[in-house]
Amino acid sequence: MIRYTIVRTVWIFVILFTVVSISFSLLRLAPEFPPPTQEEREIYYERQVSDGLMTRRLEKDAETIEAIKAEEITLHEKAFYFDEGDQLRIYEPVPIPRQYLTFINNLFTEFNWGVSQSIQPNVEVFEVVRSRIPVTMMLNLIALVFYIPIGFTLGIIAALKKDSVIDNVISFSVMIFISIPSFVMMSLLLLFFGYQLGWFLTQYPSQDVEGFVRVTSVFLPVLGLSFGALASLTRVTRAELSEVLTSEFLLLARTKGLTRTQAVIKHAMRNSMVPLVPGIIFSFVGLLSGSVVIETIYGIPGTGRIYVDALQEDDYNLVLGLTAFYTIISLFAVLLVDLSYGIVDPRIRMGAKK
Amino acid sequence: MSKEIKENTDLKKEHISKEKFKFVQKDEKIFDKKFETKPVGYFKDAMTRFAKNKTNVYATIIMMTMILLAIVVPITTDKRYTGEEFQLRFLPPRVPILENFGFMDGLTRVEDQRVDLDTIDPDTGLGVPSSENFVHEYIVMDSLENYSITCTDSQDYCLGGLNRLQIDSGGGDTAILNSFETFSFNLTENPMLYIDIADVAGASDFELNFYIEDSLTSEEYNLIANIDDEGEHEIDIADVLNTSSVFLSSSLRIELITTNDNAYVDFERIALYDDTKEEPLKEHTGYELSTYVPEGGDTLFNRREGEVIMASFKYQKYDEVFGQKEILSYSANDYNDLIEEYGDSYEKSPHPDDPDNDEMWVFPEGFPIVEVLGQSDPIEYNGEQFFTYHLIVDYAVLTGYDEIPYFFFGTDAQGRDLFALSWVALRTSLFIAFAVNIINISIGVLYGAIEGYYGGKTDLLMERFSEIIGRIPWLVTLSIFVALLGSGITTLMFILIFSGWIGISSITRTQFYRYKRREYVLASRTLGAKDSRLIFRHILPNGIGTIITTSILAIPLVIFAESTISYLGFGIGHGVSFNILGVEFSGVSIGVLLADARTHMFARPYLTVFPAVIISILMITFNMFGNALRDAFNPSLRGADE
Repeated sequence: MIRYTIVRTVWIFVILFTVVSISFSLLRLAPEFPPPTQEEREIYYERQVSDGLMTRRLEKDAETIEAIKAEEITLHEKAFYFDEGDQLRIYEPVPIPRQYLTFINNLFTEFNWGVSQSIQPNVEVFEVVRSRIPVTMMLNLIALVFYIPIGFTLGIIAALKKDSVIDNVISFSVMIFISIPSFVMMSLLLLFFGYQLGWFLTQYPSQDVEGFVRVTSVFLPVLGLSFGALASLTRVTRAELSEVLTSEFLLLARTKGLTRTQAVIKHAMRNSMVPLVPGIIFSFVGLLSGSVVIETIYGIPGTGRIYVDALQEDDYNLVLGLTAFYTIISLFAVLLVDLSYGIVDPRIRMGAKK
Repeated sequence: MSKEIKENTDLKKEHISKEKFKFVQKDEKIFDKKFETKPVGYFKDAMTRFAKNKTNVYATIIMMTMILLAIVVPITTDKRYTGEEFQLRFLPPRVPILENFGFMDGLTRVEDQRVDLDTIDPDTGLGVPSSENFVHEYIVMDSLENYSITCTDSQDYCLGGLNRLQIDSGGGDTAILNSFETFSFNLTENPMLYIDIADVAGASDFELNFYIEDSLTSEEYNLIANIDDEGEHEIDIADVLNTSSVFLSSSLRIELITTNDNAYVDFERIALYDDTKEEPLKEHTGYELSTYVPEGGDTLFNRREGEVIMASFKYQKYDEVFGQKEILSYSANDYNDLIEEYGDSYEKSPHPDDPDNDEMWVFPEGFPIVEVLGQSDPIEYNGEQFFTYHLIVDYAVLTGYDEIPYFFFGTDAQGRDLFALSWVALRTSLFIAFAVNIINISIGVLYGAIEGYYGGKTDLLMERFSEIIGRIPWLVTLSIFVALLGSGITTLMFILIFSGWIGISSITRTQFYRYKRREYVLASRTLGAKDSRLIFRHILPNGIGTIITTSILAIPLVIFAESTISYLGFGIGHGVSFNILGVEFSGVSIGVLLADARTHMFARPYLTVFPAVIISILMITFNMFGNALRDAFNPSLRGADE
């Protein structure tokens, strides 16, 4: 078991490292968009130099200055210069492999992810991401707390009353909710409850709004987030439970004299729950990346929203930080799932000798 | 069980004599008989199972109909879904038959429109907005309602209310106000000034003074009153003003002196009467009072509790848009094009109102231009003469409709028919889904086949590779492709393909593990068959059913991902069009339509509802079809994830 855990953990870090490395190298190939204003640019380029991603030099030769200004001498496409009258302060990037090594070094020694370029110019990427995590996590956890009990209950009802009217209704609704894309669902929810009926806010309120409105504002995004997950949880619960219900050990339980209720609660439920735990962990990851769309529609200032913003405004440092964030979350969910499988069912231990 | 035994014991034992028994086939030889029924193949068997579930059959029919519509509607529709026609923007849905029941009847519900006070009908007391914004004949009068809401604007449509004078907090201690109009006093007629004050606050420590100007005296302003409480105050000008003038013409000056920031005075009315006291010479309430001009930066003078009359009604937008319209400057080039297009079949004839004017003429019915009212003076530029026409056009004919068209789903912000556009969008989504899926299947089957067939180290390495690819969150893939290639169709396809093939490959791999050790494969191998023959001829066909169903279930997932990415603005968008196999695909997908509709959710919900419903129905039926197909092909999996 220990060996298995270690192997899985190491493997997770290998994947994480690969993803961050590939993302860094590829994002460096993309054109760079420094902060918009002159002052912010100066700070930004100084920071790039102190991080070791760029070099700075002063050009004092008048002819060369003229030539650079007239674009006769082409600098590196990502190079940038400040005109200081009689001299040019030129910033030039170091080669990408060296940038990569420096980046890795910075990352491991100082946990330095660089600074944001356009979303919040010159603010540490780590700070930006950290400030956005609470609201996203809050919404996702509320959604989790909201949909798990309902999904279980519906799944259990459907399995116990298999092929009845209730089961058919539940199964059909599951099919509907599982099929509708979350952004369509969210648009429709927003349209009816937000705009037409006016029960809820049509935009997530800003920080200073407090009280009841703040509480109700969570309602629509949580609904939008959880419909898909709710439907799949119901579906899986129903499938697992109805499989267990027809199994032989349940028949044995009945034969030894347990009532149906006793047999279902003591034997069927416990056995059907086992494969559901990993399912829930995965669905949380799905929820988290699904919240990108929900956050964009509802204007929630979370990690998903800022991911889209950063991509649209070409803030690639921030994109890299968020990439790492989402990768870490999804990989650790995978690790948790793998471990939980291993604990629950020794037969699945992948590291075990065959 | 117990029931059967019970029935058996009930049978009476009956004696049958030996002669009654005989051999049935005594003289016959028994051969293998041919089946009386026809043999049932794998696919036919699957089809039979598929057809058993009626719900799935209906779902399939709906799905097929939608796919058919997505192909047929864009080709056959005569309504516009390309280009922009701003005249036609935001037309509400209008459907024949349904419109007779007051549902999707092409009427727009217009609310909160300020009533033009001149239009108020004395009989009904109801008014409509000014004709600049709404053509009065197209307002459905039965649905017209008037109501009032409060306003604080210093505008003449805002009726009644009070005007509050106070001091700007943090400023000085004097607020000064001058009347905009001048008051004329004839002192021989005993002019009386009435000042109605509705409310005061902080009266104990303020001083409210009223002045008028007397040009004859040395002092510029003369104090005429000092008031410090609410109610109606009457000022006899001749009495308080110690002057020898007979006629005075002055603006009224009001001064509020206080140190209390919370002190205020609410004016209701200022009126001037002569000694007859019947009709006021001048009366300032609500709006007129609000035109009083504050002097200096410390004065706050605000309108309060005014009322504005608003109207809500249903409006025949279609009639307005497609009716006759006056265009002040219509370019001569466009005009010439029209004349050319319609040929010589139409003759212009002299204008009935002014037959001698050769700049004015009329056209017969059926021509886009109804009448020409004149033409502008030519402007010379580069030796050429340019001028415009002032004319009345028939918009329906001009836009190419013989009669007012039906836009089933209304029109969008660019004036494009949403019905046609939805199907075009669906076609784009479906096309991308199919194309991506074909590529995914090709890669996945090949990859999975190699993995499964060769096994061992090859399998292990390839599995690790696909695991890494599959573990990368889609957001990461998205960000890298968007950063490197920009948004667009290429990016979209790459993102969808990047990890899309993994599902198919793992299914194929499992199928290969299942079949590769079978005896018939071994037999074929012994006969000298090559790897490729074993893979494609002997193993793959056995797993094809599962592979097909998996890939069909992948189509809705691709549509799902495609529309989501397009919704976020990283997929196809406006202005992106691409031509594949001679079919022009315009840059709309359902995701784009819904993203556009986001800003119009309140006023035009139909822009969201129709595309959302269309894609939802397609996804639901596609999933049902896929599940049914899987159940049919592989009965052992029936209900596996339902």
